[in-house]
Amino acid sequence: MNIDETGIGCVKNSSSSASSGRNGIYLPGIEERRIRKWRKMIGVGGSDWKHYVRRKPLVVKRRIRKGIPDCLRGLVWQLISGSRDLLLMNPGVYEQLVIYETSASELDIIRDISRTFPTHVFFQQRHGPGQRSLYNVLKAYSVYDRDVGYVQGMGFLAGLLLLYMSEEDAFWLLVALLKGAVHSPMEGLYQVGLPLVQKYLSQFEQLVKEKFPKLGEHFSEEMVNPSMYASQWFITVFSYSFPFPLALRIWDVFLYEGVKVVFQVGLALLGYCHDELIKLPFEKLVPALKNFPEDAMNPDVLLPMAFSIKVSRRLLELEEEHKKRNQGMLQQSTSSAKQKR
Amino acid sequence: MASTAGGKSSNAKLVLLGDAGTGKSSIVLRFVKNQFIDFQESTIGAAFFSQTLTVDDASVKFDIWDTAGQERYHSLAPMYYRGAAAAIVAYDITNQASFDRAKKWVQELQAHGSSGTVVALAGNKADLIDSRKVSAEEARRYAQDNGLLFMETSAKLATNVSEMFSQIAKRLIEAQPAGNPSGTSLLLQTPSSTMPRPSSCCSSS
Repeated sequence: MNIDETGIGCVKNSSSSASSGRNGIYLPGIEERRIRKWRKMIGVGGSDWKHYVRRKPLVVKRRIRKGIPDCLRGLVWQLISGSRDLLLMNPGVYEQLVIYETSASELDIIRDISRTFPTHVFFQQRHGPGQRSLYNVLKAYSVYDRDVGYVQGMGFLAGLLLLYMSEEDAFWLLVALLKGAVHSPMEGLYQVGLPLVQKYLSQFEQLVKEKFPKLGEHFSEEMVNPSMYASQWFITVFSYSFPFPLALRIWDVFLYEGVKVVFQVGLALLGYCHDELIKLPFEKLVPALKNFPEDAMNPDVLLPMAFSIKVSRRLLELEEEHKKRNQGMLQQSTSSAKQKR
Repeated sequence: MASTAGGKSSNAKLVLLGDAGTGKSSIVLRFVKNQFIDFQESTIGAAFFSQTLTVDDASVKFDIWDTAGQERYHSLAPMYYRGAAAAIVAYDITNQASFDRAKKWVQELQAHGSSGTVVALAGNKADLIDSRKVSAEEARRYAQDNGLLFMETSAKLATNVSEMFSQIAKRLIEAQPAGNPSGTSLLLQTPSSTMPRPSSCCSSS
């Protein structure tokens, strides 16, 4: 893993695809020029960012899709997610949550701390700085939103963020995502009944049928549904059991463009392995959907495929259908409840 | 149908349920790969494994669903225990709350699971005797009263893990109606897939 949690050592430590040319050859000149461009776009401490995004949103989008330079990733993530603004608007709040409040989830969090990225050097050491930061961020969030509290899966989001930023920054980015600072809120992934997981899975199932009709049919015949393989894709935005170089590139786009990219990457994975998957019976199909071949995990192969799959409009339509269906079910259950009375 | 001549080979869907951190994934890892990892990554969603076990002269292929334990993930569980031939409900012998939660899982299986599901109660982490909070007697009595298989297991020391699966397999084979392979046994009901097919004439769920 070539992650540098401090973000120091720019060129040398930048993530695989960012530091290499088209053929995977290390090209220092190109990489340095790329970082210079990014620095100009950001300005000192992010001062020029908003202005640049407003003026040239498509340039920003294109550059982000190519991968944010690893040494600037932490800062850029905070700028595009809106978390930097939250931090500035709430001075001292994080400290208050960590030090003075108690959370009902403390024991649950402790139980999972050493089970989050257990093989990553930063989180390996028991009670080491990585584990302590992770605990603090998760505890702070569980106090910040006591209804959601702590849910397994959040640790992988927070852990990924902590590789690139301080505890307090990671906390506000988590808030920005779950409360919806820029995109629609994601807290429904973790609320009782996991409503947003259910919605995403039903949208995904439909998209599979539409984009890959043969595979969709094979899935129905084998009784395989997305909740068997894709729930963790949505719950952790690919930070769980996917190689870091791929996960990071997905996160670059996810923070700027929203959850759409999770659907696109999921579909691209199925598309990439389509001809294999379609031959497999249930007991081989499910494991294959959890262990994609290494060549499918190359961000420079998978992401262009993902971006070529258009989903935005269909997602909106499917969201409407899901809403109507749910309202229908709700009405049905309330009317049947009334009848019982 | 996949069951071969004489019904000697069959498929069984098995689900692991139980509180978070009781060692469900470790039990599976021990059974499937004979490995143990001190810090096993938390299971998000559910994981799938399959492993064949031969008991006497019959073999049972287990299709195993390992589920996320935290209460919040409860709503995903029915999909995995529905139509299951067997369920292992795990608790941690050093954690009373996990035993209480195990009882809730047993109740849920009794109320909403398939009627023929073989349920095994596993008191895991049996190597941590010094921190024991749940007595073996109490658990055994509960298991007897509810018709469950019961074992204290240690995935870490490989104690009683394969034994538990063997006992489950035996019970499944015994429950298989002799000379009537299309009977109501969950073991034979789902030979080529772990999910009951809609066309199945004999679904008991």
